Amino acid sequence: MKFAHIADTHIGAHREPVLAQLEAEAFGIAIDRCIQEKVDFIIISGDLFQSGIPDLAAVDDAVKKMHAVREAGIPIYVIYGSHDYNPNGKSIIDILDSTGLIKKVVKGEIVDGKLELEFFTDSKTGAKLVGISARKAGLESRYYEILDREALEKEQGFKIFVFHSGLDEFKPKHLAQMESIPVSCLPRDFQYYAGGHIHEKSEHALPHYGPIVFPGTLFAGSPRDFEASAKGTQRGFYIVQFNKKIEKTEFVPVKVCECVYHEYDVSNKNSVQAQYELQKSLKELDVKGRFALVKVFGELAGGKTSDLKFAELKKMLSEKGAIHIDINRFGLVSKEYANMKVAGEGIGEIEDRLFKENIGTVKLSNADLKGDNGIKLAHELLKVVRQEAKTGETKKDYNIRVAEYAVKTLKLTETME
Amino acid sequence: MEELEIAGQIIGGKVANILLREKSGKKIELGDLLVVDEPDGAYLILQVYDLEYGSQIPQTVRELAAGLKLEGYGPSLDFLEPHLRNYVMAKVKAVAFVSKGGAKIPKVLPSFFSNVRFIEEKDLSFLTKPPNPVYLGKIRSGSKILDFDVFLDGEEMLTHHVLVPATTGRGKSNLVKVMLWSIADHKKFGMLVLDPHDEYYGRSVMGLKNHPNAKDTIRYYTVNPPPGASTLVINLRSMKPEHFEGLVDFSSTQQQAIRLYHRQFKYDWIENIIKGTEIEGVKSTTLTVLQRIVRVNLAVYFEEGQIVCKNRVFSDSAGEATISTIIDDMEDGKIVIVDTSKISDEAELLIGSAVANEIFTRHQDAKAEGKLDEKRTVGIIIEEAPRVLSAERLAKSGNNIYSKVAREGRKFKVGLVAITQLTSVIPRDVLTNINTKIILGNEMATERHAIIESAAQDLSADDRTIASLDKGEAIVSSIFTRFAVPVQIPLFEEYAKTTKPSDKKIVFTG
Repeated sequence: MKFAHIADTHIGAHREPVLAQLEAEAFGIAIDRCIQEKVDFIIISGDLFQSGIPDLAAVDDAVKKMHAVREAGIPIYVIYGSHDYNPNGKSIIDILDSTGLIKKVVKGEIVDGKLELEFFTDSKTGAKLVGISARKAGLESRYYEILDREALEKEQGFKIFVFHSGLDEFKPKHLAQMESIPVSCLPRDFQYYAGGHIHEKSEHALPHYGPIVFPGTLFAGSPRDFEASAKGTQRGFYIVQFNKKIEKTEFVPVKVCECVYHEYDVSNKNSVQAQYELQKSLKELDVKGRFALVKVFGELAGGKTSDLKFAELKKMLSEKGAIHIDINRFGLVSKEYANMKVAGEGIGEIEDRLFKENIGTVKLSNADLKGDNGIKLAHELLKVVRQEAKTGETKKDYNIRVAEYAVKTLKLTETME
Repeated sequence: MEELEIAGQIIGGKVANILLREKSGKKIELGDLLVVDEPDGAYLILQVYDLEYGSQIPQTVRELAAGLKLEGYGPSLDFLEPHLRNYVMAKVKAVAFVSKGGAKIPKVLPSFFSNVRFIEEKDLSFLTKPPNPVYLGKIRSGSKILDFDVFLDGEEMLTHHVLVPATTGRGKSNLVKVMLWSIADHKKFGMLVLDPHDEYYGRSVMGLKNHPNAKDTIRYYTVNPPPGASTLVINLRSMKPEHFEGLVDFSSTQQQAIRLYHRQFKYDWIENIIKGTEIEGVKSTTLTVLQRIVRVNLAVYFEEGQIVCKNRVFSDSAGEATISTIIDDMEDGKIVIVDTSKISDEAELLIGSAVANEIFTRHQDAKAEGKLDEKRTVGIIIEEAPRVLSAERLAKSGNNIYSKVAREGRKFKVGLVAITQLTSVIPRDVLTNINTKIILGNEMATERHAIIESAAQDLSADDRTIASLDKGEAIVSSIFTRFAVPVQIPLFEEYAKTTKPSDKKIVFTG
């Protein structure tokens, strides 16, 4: 018997047609391989989609593939990832779940302060699956705190725990600030722990736990993923053979394009020198049919960052046959113009850094607006203004609703009244 | 003043040695706080530091009278009006002069022959609750406990460091638990607790895990974590040569070799030493010694082509983010408890050193960027402090991060809470930098003298008082208190009960 373990597909993450196509291709390759390998079931441990209400064109492609899987008699078991969650109501996961294309393996209730979860049994193999979905900003950690582990640990049979959280002990250093849970939050004595959320593949062995596996992203869910892929991080998923216990875990690489990575440090150079050197070095790159990722960073000794003609460089790489070009210049600043330095794994991290860097530049007397309080408030406000209109909601109603939330967040209700 | 309140009357003495006669039946105790009321609502607070008998009857007569009673010649024999002729004399010192302008160090003697009364709660109203309170206990007068809470400002107290000197069984860990519990109330400071006895978290008993805010404020690292706690695992790549400074004795050749390994392999320097990778400029004998030192301190070996950590704390695969996460948590106002009960002293001090070094550097950088104000004050609690702060250790191995924090941490909002049985072995310049001493009972005269000599107030007359401190009784001598405040530290379990449990409800959405 065998199952496939996929995670962090982030379908709908890319609007650029080339990237969107590569993303769909990666999903397609993985699904085709699962059918070809005749796996008994597939687990997708969160972040199947980029958002709770993703781009429908991307959904369409993915649904076709899922349909093929169903036709092959292979069930897909999923949980919400932090991206799948829709705070305003139903998400695409719920809709696909109700159509029977996928099966959410999270069911439970809080009884006397304890979270009791139900197992789902795969009818063909008898494997028992249970999981905890992710919420935004690691809020799912609350569920682990009250999880009735004992009941889960007592259950007999071949058990798989599906989760979408980073683990304190195993998260990479660059994700140190990411919300995560300690391994001790996971119930013990499961034969397999199907993890998601960490975009790089890893397998971990610990006493009292079966293999804890993160397949990583299939393609790329964030800009950092492209850089990691270009630097050699393998993308793919796992096929796991089991009987009463795990017999073999095999990583199946999925490669949809070749990547070329080039980085250039502008420090101690003026903009003319930098432009010249950059152009020269990029000319030498073999980018034909490849994804070109260029990272430009450092502090220009003279000139402005806008002196560097990135559009020209892109054009040149495109003419050399690159299928897609991404020039990352978040770390680029000039002495003349102190640009904001941004570097981070994801949007949230970048926002956090920007808030931290800039909150001190605004003189405020209200303690709630300063320091960590101010940063927290800024995040909350951003969350408020990011809300999307509900189905059938007029623009006016939407504006009023967002304004009301903002006033409430700022604790200005009384003042406004 | 009602006569009932009178405890005694001043009858003589001099500054810091005022004599008073106890009113019969009042039982003035060693350490009692007494008050002399002065005109215009001002008053002086006095503290008893010695007691002795006084008598109007000559010694020979008293001896004879005792003999007669003891030998049965006059069982009912007594002195005429004995309460007038025999009494107790108390030696007191004035510790505070309180007037409308607040409390000051007294510079005058109380009015001669004035009445003295026991202190009441209202007399202490000048001791206001600071903005960042850390709870220590209730004011104690002798063995009587007043219903008046004692707090120190955590910001001031931590940045100026704290020493908790006491012998075993006097309630050191109870005090620290009480302080940490109150710190967890408001999440204003980050704390690192190196816990060699695994007694703060309360794995199977009442502990900091039971705080209503524990989910947000307490982090627990241990090699065998209970649900919700983190595994204490530190990646070898997180360790830097400076983390070993002053803790491991390296010769200059070995130090040079370490620098070369670090320069060549960066984060993988330890791994390459363990594996025995030879590099130019390092003799194989030096490498062998370095391997032995790493094995002894980190319990890391190279066996059958693999790096194996015998104590499961250091790893070449896991724990990459542990140090960063601990520091982030501290900066977020959390209390991070590291259970070091199952690892060696060396490993414990190195882990503490790694965290302390990194947080010190972060705060130094923040100061350089003018952003130190945005950082929370952080404190490091270390038990058996002479392991890193003794004169012998510092002379032998040079300064380490703990002594650096003690000397310079104030400038960078990094504080030290040093717990010790042996104050006398800590150098004077380090002790001088520790500006709050929470003194618990100590029967060793040399230790008491070391404490008294370095106290923020003149405690030269309090030797006996310190010796007589019972379990849970303490004297807080701090540059942030007007006088050395006697406190009764509550039993942690009782104190914890006073905090209202959280009524936060979790809603589950699958």
